[in-house]
Amino acid sequence: MTWILLSLREWQRRPLRMSITTAGVALAVAALWSLLAFAHGYKAGLRNDLDKLGAHIIVVPKGCPYDAASLALHGASWPCYLKAEYLKQVRAVQGIAVAAPVLMNAYFDGSGAQTVYVGVEGNMLRLKRNWHVNGHFPSRAGEILIGADVAQRHMWRVGQAVRLPGTDNKRGVVSGILAPTQSADDTFIHLRLADAQRLFGHRNELTHILVQLQDPNRMEHAVAELRGCGAGFDMNVVPMAHLFTTIGNVVNSTRALLAGIAFVAFLVAGAGVSNSVMMAVAERTREIGVMRALGASHSDIFRLFWSQTMQVCLLGAAGGVMFALLGARVVEAWLRTRLPFAPSGSLVQPEAATTVICFACALFIGSVAGLLPAWRAARLAPTVAMNAQGGRA
Amino acid sequence: MISSIPDEYSEGAFISAENLCKTYRRGIEEVHALRDVSFAIPSGELVAVVGQSGSGKTTLLNLMGCMDVPTSGVLRLGGQNIGQLNEMARTRLRREQIGFVFQHFGLLPTLSVRENIALPALFARRRVQQRVDELLEKVRLTHRRDHRPHELSGGEMQRVAIARALVNSPRVLLADEPTGNLDSVTGAAVIQIFQELLRDGLTIVVVTHNAELAAVTKRQLVLHDGKLQP
Repeated sequence: MTWILLSLREWQRRPLRMSITTAGVALAVAALWSLLAFAHGYKAGLRNDLDKLGAHIIVVPKGCPYDAASLALHGASWPCYLKAEYLKQVRAVQGIAVAAPVLMNAYFDGSGAQTVYVGVEGNMLRLKRNWHVNGHFPSRAGEILIGADVAQRHMWRVGQAVRLPGTDNKRGVVSGILAPTQSADDTFIHLRLADAQRLFGHRNELTHILVQLQDPNRMEHAVAELRGCGAGFDMNVVPMAHLFTTIGNVVNSTRALLAGIAFVAFLVAGAGVSNSVMMAVAERTREIGVMRALGASHSDIFRLFWSQTMQVCLLGAAGGVMFALLGARVVEAWLRTRLPFAPSGSLVQPEAATTVICFACALFIGSVAGLLPAWRAARLAPTVAMNAQGGRA
Repeated sequence: MISSIPDEYSEGAFISAENLCKTYRRGIEEVHALRDVSFAIPSGELVAVVGQSGSGKTTLLNLMGCMDVPTSGVLRLGGQNIGQLNEMARTRLRREQIGFVFQHFGLLPTLSVRENIALPALFARRRVQQRVDELLEKVRLTHRRDHRPHELSGGEMQRVAIARALVNSPRVLLADEPTGNLDSVTGAAVIQIFQELLRDGLTIVVVTHNAELAAVTKRQLVLHDGKLQP
């Protein structure tokens, strides 16, 4: 006979009640796990997307700079443009290593699928160090570089002449295919900037400029210089670090919603555990009296009921983590419908710490919830407990 | 039949009481459950506590079992004044020197026979596998070792309760109406076990209405309205 066995046997007495109580804890843990995994996944995804953009600063037209940055990350048609001549002024700022001009546009084909075209110059390769091109970067008119997803979707090969989706029967030749980057680049079609400007009818215009600094520690200085240049009034200069923080803040409402759900679920689970153990104490009052007569101390009785609470919470935590793992895809799909900006890659990415925190929270709630009933059980005087009507020892 | 035996407060008595009183409060009413009760029970005796309902028998048993403390007077068990012991010391005394048998058996329904018997050893932090097997043999329930209480007859449940009371090798066995829920045949089997335990040198105090059980005791404490009758 061991303490664990003694408390485990209680599951046989009220299996339904214990299961419902455990399910309550499991739901709370699942909500918390999803929240933490989302917080981590979103942050990691956003960081990944920004890193793969390869720039320290993004220069966009006047308007909401974060909407514009979001367009640059996801790919879309832009509502306003920069003058191409601003590029010279940006490049003239001291400390700029690379200033890569971009003209982006998106078309929808007959099936409703979006194709994003990105016009760039050869210096884009200096920003995209993670790119591996099968073939070569577009160097001649009409050449295109396609992302891995585009190649797979259309089953295009290097050297193939293709009709550009969404355009008015315009054609191009695939000069290169990007190896998968796990970013939005996988879904883009890159072409020469001059080709894009002609194709989209935006000659001498850009949608944004990606800027890499010689020394990222001189960010503040570079941003001030860019804002102070002649074109400074017509463009927004957005450091990526600010963008990361700002977009992160935009999803705070979703995070707060999830946190609220997790908090309420934990409160309900705690109340459920407490109530369940309280009922067990009431039902087993005479048993408690018998155990006290047999030599159980106050602390033995406390330990018995408290360990029972811990078992419920541990099992609930394990079940909750498993439930959340199984439901991660559903949660992710739901989150994507709610978020103003969802980075590529998985939004729900757990760390080892996520599971540890969930177990710790479940045990903490169990400890608090189990304290009162366990204390009440332990405080029962043996003679009072023996004469109680409750229980059937 | 004995009642008050002042001369036997002397050494040698395993349990002794001197002017023992226990008063309860029931609302505004004071209930004198025991009044000036004095007696002595030497080691190795089987003593019956008899009396009508409400005469104070169970109160006396609870005091002897360190489940409660006297309001006044002195109650000694194994030389220790129970009234002066704190809760922890009384629990230790209960665990190490006292075995309890209840009218309603008090078996835990979720535990097997063997686990029920081993329960007090868990509280005493002892490993008692062999002792449990010996006791199962003693109460002739080896074949029922893995059964649950609801699978046993009343007599078998009481024999399990007796084995449980003995698992920590106590010096005294306190039984509250041990045959109260049994028919005469199974009650006789319990009485037979008590007689065997008596031969092993155990001190046994039983609260009983059972004439057969009272008849085999060497002494009886007769209580009436909380007082020991001469």
